[in-house]
Amino acid sequence: MTEYRVEGRGRVNRAKPVKFTFDDKTYEGFEGDTVASALLANGEHLMGRSFKYHRPRGVVTASSEEPNALIGTTRGGGKGRFEPNTRATMQEIYAGLKTESQNKWPSLKFDLGAINDRLYMLFSAGFYYKTFMWPRSFWDSVYEPFIRKAAGLGKAPTEVDPDHYASRYLHCDVLVVGSGPSGIAAALTAGRAGSKVVLVDENSEMGGTLLSEPSVSIDGQPAWEWLEGAMAELDRMPNVTRMTRTTAMGYYHQNMIGLVQKLTDHMADVPEGAPRERMWRVRAKEVVLAQGAIERPMVFDGNDTPGIMMAGAAQTFLNRFGVLVGKKPVVLTSHDSAWYSAFDMADAGAKVVAIVDTRETVSQALLDEANARGIKTYLSYTATGTKGRLRVSALRVNPVRNGKVGSAHLLFCDAVLVCGGWTPSLHLFSHTKGSLHWDEEAKVYLPGHKTEDVHIAGAGRGLWGIAAALEDGTKAGTDAVKSLGGNAGVATYEVADDRTGTGITQKELPTDRSAGKAKAFVDFQNDVTAKDIRLAVREGMKSIEHVKRYTTNGMATDQGKLSNMNGLTIASDALGKEAPQVGLTTFRPPYTPTTFGAFAGYHKGKHFEVTRKTPIDSWAEEHGAEFEPVALWRRAWYFPMAGEDMHKAVARECKATRESLGIFDASTLGKIEVSGPDATEFMNRMYTNPWTKLGVGRARYGLLLGEEGFIRDDGVIGRMRDDLFHVTTTTGGAARVLNMMEDYLQTEWPDLKVWLTSTTEEWATIALNGPNARKVLAPFVEGIDISDEAFPHMSVRECTVAGFPSRLFRISFTGELGFEINVPARHGKELWEKLWAEGQKYDICPYGTETMHVLRAEKGFIIVGQDTDGTVTPQDAGIGWAIGKKKPDFVGKRSLDRPDIVAPNRKQLVGLLTEDPKTVLTEGAQIVADPKQAKPMKMIGHVTSSYWSESLGRSIAMAVVEGGFDRMDDTLHIPTENGDAVPAKVTSTVFYDPAGDRLKVE
Amino acid sequence: MNAPVTSFDTVSVTVLPSVARFNLRIAPADLSVASAAFGLTLPTKIGQGAQSGDRAAYCIGPDEWLLHAAEADQQAIVSAFAAVRADTAHSLVVISDREMTIGIDGPDALALLSVGCPIDLSRLPIGGAKRTVFDYAQVMLIRDAEDAFRVEVWRSYFPHVHGLLEIAARELTVGL
Amino acid sequence: MLLIHCPYCDDTLPELEFAYAGEAHIDRPADPSKLTDEEWRDFLFIRTNVKGVHAERWRHINGCGRFFNALRDTVSDRFLTTYKAGEARPDMQTLEAAE
Repeated sequence: MTEYRVEGRGRVNRAKPVKFTFDDKTYEGFEGDTVASALLANGEHLMGRSFKYHRPRGVVTASSEEPNALIGTTRGGGKGRFEPNTRATMQEIYAGLKTESQNKWPSLKFDLGAINDRLYMLFSAGFYYKTFMWPRSFWDSVYEPFIRKAAGLGKAPTEVDPDHYASRYLHCDVLVVGSGPSGIAAALTAGRAGSKVVLVDENSEMGGTLLSEPSVSIDGQPAWEWLEGAMAELDRMPNVTRMTRTTAMGYYHQNMIGLVQKLTDHMADVPEGAPRERMWRVRAKEVVLAQGAIERPMVFDGNDTPGIMMAGAAQTFLNRFGVLVGKKPVVLTSHDSAWYSAFDMADAGAKVVAIVDTRETVSQALLDEANARGIKTYLSYTATGTKGRLRVSALRVNPVRNGKVGSAHLLFCDAVLVCGGWTPSLHLFSHTKGSLHWDEEAKVYLPGHKTEDVHIAGAGRGLWGIAAALEDGTKAGTDAVKSLGGNAGVATYEVADDRTGTGITQKELPTDRSAGKAKAFVDFQNDVTAKDIRLAVREGMKSIEHVKRYTTNGMATDQGKLSNMNGLTIASDALGKEAPQVGLTTFRPPYTPTTFGAFAGYHKGKHFEVTRKTPIDSWAEEHGAEFEPVALWRRAWYFPMAGEDMHKAVARECKATRESLGIFDASTLGKIEVSGPDATEFMNRMYTNPWTKLGVGRARYGLLLGEEGFIRDDGVIGRMRDDLFHVTTTTGGAARVLNMMEDYLQTEWPDLKVWLTSTTEEWATIALNGPNARKVLAPFVEGIDISDEAFPHMSVRECTVAGFPSRLFRISFTGELGFEINVPARHGKELWEKLWAEGQKYDICPYGTETMHVLRAEKGFIIVGQDTDGTVTPQDAGIGWAIGKKKPDFVGKRSLDRPDIVAPNRKQLVGLLTEDPKTVLTEGAQIVADPKQAKPMKMIGHVTSSYWSESLGRSIAMAVVEGGFDRMDDTLHIPTENGDAVPAKVTSTVFYDPAGDRLKVE
Repeated sequence: MNAPVTSFDTVSVTVLPSVARFNLRIAPADLSVASAAFGLTLPTKIGQGAQSGDRAAYCIGPDEWLLHAAEADQQAIVSAFAAVRADTAHSLVVISDREMTIGIDGPDALALLSVGCPIDLSRLPIGGAKRTVFDYAQVMLIRDAEDAFRVEVWRSYFPHVHGLLEIAARELTVGL
Repeated sequence: MLLIHCPYCDDTLPELEFAYAGEAHIDRPADPSKLTDEEWRDFLFIRTNVKGVHAERWRHINGCGRFFNALRDTVSDRFLTTYKAGEARPDMQTLEAAE
């Protein structure tokens, strides 16, 4: 048994000792201990160093609001399983757990960074703003490295987290957050009424305050027996789910609450395949917030010395964990609750040196109980200093009489238990934008107007005592059931030995010393003192939001759970205003720090996002393709042979296709079936082109504009029947185009009898291009004649290819004789393989998207989204021919007459040929008319597409250039990174076979 | 078609054989024509399904139905609808290859689907179907029994959806 | 994440099934060629940008696929009501009276 463990107290499992390490030293605790309770049982209070001043810090709470005892943990002994800033008060110990302190060097007890503490006067509020302003030349070289080195709490892990994170949605009638007496009462009430209830608590076991108050009795049973019965009853109800180690971290619209459940961080042996954490996205019809209250520290010089902690925490360490946090404690308080902590400590064998209360009077009953235990009491006293650096050894106290601080004396001790009142925990309620109202008497904010179907119960709305909590929880449960349209029985509870009480809250304690020199901390984690807050006010910060940002009060990872109210009290005193006039900063999710893993869930590795693959993708992979992402798809980019880089592979693929035969997987193209008696009318209205006269079996290039006149999408469209079009879209535009079509159809032209169905994935699409395309295809085609005569360029037929039902297009995006074969997706790979085998006679070459881009650029075919950017009209792109001029209307038509669109000097798509044919321009490069002009130069356009053309033996490019059509044969210049400018001549965009002779293969 | 099964005590994830599948669009007033052509009275309320032998129909929009039939019947159904097209405007599109189907069965079926489905699955009627989302993918969710579902997902999204279901199914066996 | 009532499905469902589609009740002119440049500009680009009750379009894109209209308070983010495409914008007083 360790020195500070108390026999007969606590809930830890004495039969199961557990060894773990802290800073490489092995400690022993028991199953059920946290790192904090186990270290305290070994007499260790010092658990960290503060952020700014590197002051030694001890644990101050027993719960998740802990600002000081932040440690690094290594779980499962594994690589990538290091976590910084874990709260020692929440991390349960298990055999083999490795933990370490943070923000210290070389050691926790002797830390060189503590020099900052000696420079305290320099590091006051606004230090960063004032210090790092000048000289400007220091910003990058001196200040930033300095700030970066000093910044951050704990060490970020550098390895990939190998753990698995899970998520689920959950729907329930009543979600109860917090399992203290009010939460339990609410869950029992709603559960008994048959509601689907979920009860969650961030701790490893349920009970809340009851775990720290075993002396209370409920319905004639000791608290813990009652608790056990209540848990058993909840577990018997099939409609109730209980979750421990589960933090409600955010409260979002319409009762959606994010819960993070820690599943394995307390286990020595983690089952294979178990997720570490699970994010529950809960949709609750009613929410009961029973989060309790958070104890407030007192602000006085040296209040952060290790060994000083919250009185309620000491009570929890004693009653829940069986640990005395000190053998000679002093209690410093302004609230009755700490008196009970003192009594429990005394009853457990501690020699309580004194109870120091800042109030002038307390109840006679408390004084009698203190006297009975031989505890000295000091009323109307203040605390003005401490002795001891790594551990408190004395508290300096002074009487306060008529507002005057009298002379000091020292109370020697090994711990100081502090209580400056209690703050209702309204973080989640604040997430809902519910209003808070200021309770003048209690000096706390309480829940006001509610925006959600939420009920706040117990200490969370300022009530005190277990009887009150049970009653209020029952009421919240009843109200929730009533809102659901049900009826709940109202249970009543008989509570004996309830420790009710009252108290006051206050600003920093009065002192006989210079207040300006006091290190009286308000925010332990960010090292903000009362002096800093007063300085911020003196320097003009009027709103608490400004004070917060200037001092960083409440901006640490605990979001000011301990510091906000003290900061506000001091700021409002300095401003001479009431607290509600100064405001309160907003709490935002998450309630406590949450792992990235919990947010990411399954979205890591190959499930990071959807990777769409075509039916032919596996063939490409087997044949060594490199892939590139296109929208959510991955597409074969090029097929390098041994020793080839991309440039060489693409040059070979281009040459093979132009000379003989290339095969290309075009399955990602969007496909939409436009069907119905009004299909032609619909197509006429949507696309710029005329469709009325397009015969069945014929295909046409279609151009789609936005209503503002700019190119949105394009693709070849085939007429399958009078009332049926097979529309293709760009790969990335498929969903967008269908949505746009549905929009017009449903909301502008609901009278049209036409329907749209996506068939993108119904079909696998294989493109064959090259002079031998027909030769390889013909033997497979049944049902139609595909000769040039019977099946000319821009034709489409239904037929059979290799026995598969097919829609066969004769089209070309390369300028060569081309076919696109659509077959049901399941047959795509098989057809590809058959064509591949047959194509060996013609040295068939698989090519990827890069070669496709080069071949189309040689022909001057645009890629929407590459050569256009949402500001390009058909005329700008040089494809005004695609506009059906006789059509009365189509989407975007009216805009083609807009003043800015008919204005001169618009950017127009032209070809560029560099003077040096070997120079390949950079896509996106800016273009200037005169490279000798002064900087900044006037940029008149940019390069949209640029490639090496193997067929032409030189580079080619396309560009949008102001007034480009009028600049034919002009020489423009493309400045490069190294200060040169590449001269290039403006040309047509059609570089290859401008007459289109190559399509006419007999 | 082979049917890979990931089976655990409480839930199994199965890749189901393909069926003939159609997307039918028709004005609700003309529904009787479609019912006659398909040989099954089509349901009229979004979310409802109707089944007879190997034919099934699910209403998934105000004028939209998902039809299932035996693969062998695909062409006959296309012809039956084609025969009435001139008199009754509609759109029947074969989508047999567009989607893949995953079967999810067992007492933990709801829990498994809840890893990706934001809707309250307990409200989905048995025999009904709904278009919704599973994680990043749009899916058709069909409920065949209290604890038996089918998820139809576009072919290219199948690896993502199926992969997540497999991971989550393993989680359920661990019991954490 | 909001819950949205689809007037076609008559069901209240998670926002993930829906997509926003801009301000409602902006009809495409029957004959755009008759509009002046200014009128056409207003149709294309000028929106009300309300602080308060906003009539807007949503699509149940991962559901029944229908576009519909909604009144939503842009301050609280709350949906006040939803209604089918083509229906008139509900009167706020009638709405409040109905509650």
